[in-house]
Amino acid sequence: MAVHKQNMKRISEFLWEIPATYRHDMKVPARLYASDAILEAALQDASVEQLINTATLPGLVGYALTMPDIHQGYGFPIGGVVASTTKEGVISPGGVGFDINCGVRVLTSNLSYDDLEPHLATLATTLYRNCPTGVGKGGGIDLDAKDFDALLREGSEWALENGFAEPQDVQRTEEQGRLKAADPTKVSKRAIERGITQVGTLGAGNHFIELDRVDAIYDEEAAQAMGLADGNIVAQIHCGSRGFGHQVCTDYVRDFQSAAQKYGIHLVDRQLICAPFNSPEGQAYFGAMCAAANYAFVNRQVLAHDIRQSFKQVLKKTSLDYRLTQVYDIAHNMAKVEQHEVDGKRVEVVVHRKGATRAFGPGFEGLPEEYREIGQPVLVPGSMGTASWILTGTLGSMEQSFGSTCHGAGRTMSRSKAKQTILGNKLKSELQSEGIEVRAGSMPGLAEEAPQAYKDVDEVVRVVTGAGIARKVARIVPVAVIKG
Amino acid sequence: MNLPAWEEVEHTADWSLRVRGADLRSLFENAACGMVSLLGDAKPTEITFHRVIEVSAIDTESLLVEWLTELLYILEEDLIFSEINVKQIEGNTLIGEVSGGPPDQPPMKIIKAVTYHLLEIRPTDTGYETVLVFDV
Repeated sequence: MAVHKQNMKRISEFLWEIPATYRHDMKVPARLYASDAILEAALQDASVEQLINTATLPGLVGYALTMPDIHQGYGFPIGGVVASTTKEGVISPGGVGFDINCGVRVLTSNLSYDDLEPHLATLATTLYRNCPTGVGKGGGIDLDAKDFDALLREGSEWALENGFAEPQDVQRTEEQGRLKAADPTKVSKRAIERGITQVGTLGAGNHFIELDRVDAIYDEEAAQAMGLADGNIVAQIHCGSRGFGHQVCTDYVRDFQSAAQKYGIHLVDRQLICAPFNSPEGQAYFGAMCAAANYAFVNRQVLAHDIRQSFKQVLKKTSLDYRLTQVYDIAHNMAKVEQHEVDGKRVEVVVHRKGATRAFGPGFEGLPEEYREIGQPVLVPGSMGTASWILTGTLGSMEQSFGSTCHGAGRTMSRSKAKQTILGNKLKSELQSEGIEVRAGSMPGLAEEAPQAYKDVDEVVRVVTGAGIARKVARIVPVAVIKG
Repeated sequence: MNLPAWEEVEHTADWSLRVRGADLRSLFENAACGMVSLLGDAKPTEITFHRVIEVSAIDTESLLVEWLTELLYILEEDLIFSEINVKQIEGNTLIGEVSGGPPDQPPMKIIKAVTYHLLEIRPTDTGYETVLVFDV
């Protein structure tokens, strides 16, 4: 039975609810953050049905949620957030997905666009050369088995010890770039074999490195804390745990198929496969997932190092005095153990965010000192060639959405339709004519990621800020795009 | 009218294929060829490998995921197939043979994984049919 708008109750301008009575197997109501236009678009594909499916998982509390960048995924919808208690609930490898800790890092600079503009084309080419992109097995830094084990356990701390990070980078990374529950002994040999050659590689698909210009500041105090100034250059990195994370997910989705039977878990979709969090199976996946998360933090850290090296190479003969400092690094595919208030009680839950970002509000003690009062930075990349946003978490996100908000623009057009209607080469020239330098390995791949295939990120941000689950800090626009 | 061995199904974020086969063996072969077709037109420049693949799983749907996952693993070694054959499916065990070599052009995309999303192999009047979703 297809879900319609009539099945929903409008809670506020940007929040809609599907009651738990809508389908017999729902454990909690489902809620969507959306404007009228975004809701209409979501009802065109299977994403709302997928949201309802997530509401059937055992041990859920509160609501099954989707952010306004909602679109159809496999299992969870993209933009999905659910919280399951650690005591009686589950962890779902299929829910977290294959690209564990896919996420975004933003570095800011004191360079103005005007300072950099004469060097932009050379810098784009240098970044493309220095930051390995595209399909294939290797291309990453050289590591032996002992190094790799330490990397999986220590995450960003390993990167710092090995000269790929500055101390502030580590402080300004979600969980300081290290999930302490990481357990490489729970990772398969094949995951290690695939992962060991790919540390410091971007991959392909929707992953990218981008240079942007700060286009507008909305919150001076927060922007100052983050080192963002109008007209200045920032760099974004979007990628995840590469073949390592894919293999961890593949292994556990396969192994859990029998675990679900063992624990009597009935699944409406086998990709939502899960096991009790406190079971040996659940704990094994959690240890492996945390190792993959640490891998992804290091992957983005090594790419940040490559970006700094590229700037150095290109600008060494100029008199420009500049510094690239990290704003933040954030995951948007992850299951995290967190404390949240549900019905007036503090509950320990496993928050699954699939294409959604943690957005902790002001006062959260895990944040670096300089962000304690403004809230956690939230990095929201738009589609290629369009704006991206830097937001902060709010008290509203803590109260309403398990400290979560949106993660990007969200697709509206299938990849095949994008490829049929948009030519990669033409798109590249259009972007170039707008003053955006594009370096891409695959023209059809570029076409799949065309801005026409995505929602308007400004509309997505209007919803999350209107609903009070994020606050605007700065809007940035691209000047160079590097893709696989 | 002969229905195609595989065809694309509209999916907003990932790739989805409807696959058909007169029997399970051809369904599994067609699923493999359909998946590889998503990578573009790359052909091997020379034949450098021939491998026998044996996979087992708890049921037929899981066996299909396992089989395709093994093929993705080979593709990640910067190789492409010239031939994909399913020799035998007995119970929940499959034996296949593949050969190929280095591609003449880079593949257009990475398929991250084969998903179980609503996966069901259904008998039809002419054999079997299923819909696969790939994470890309």
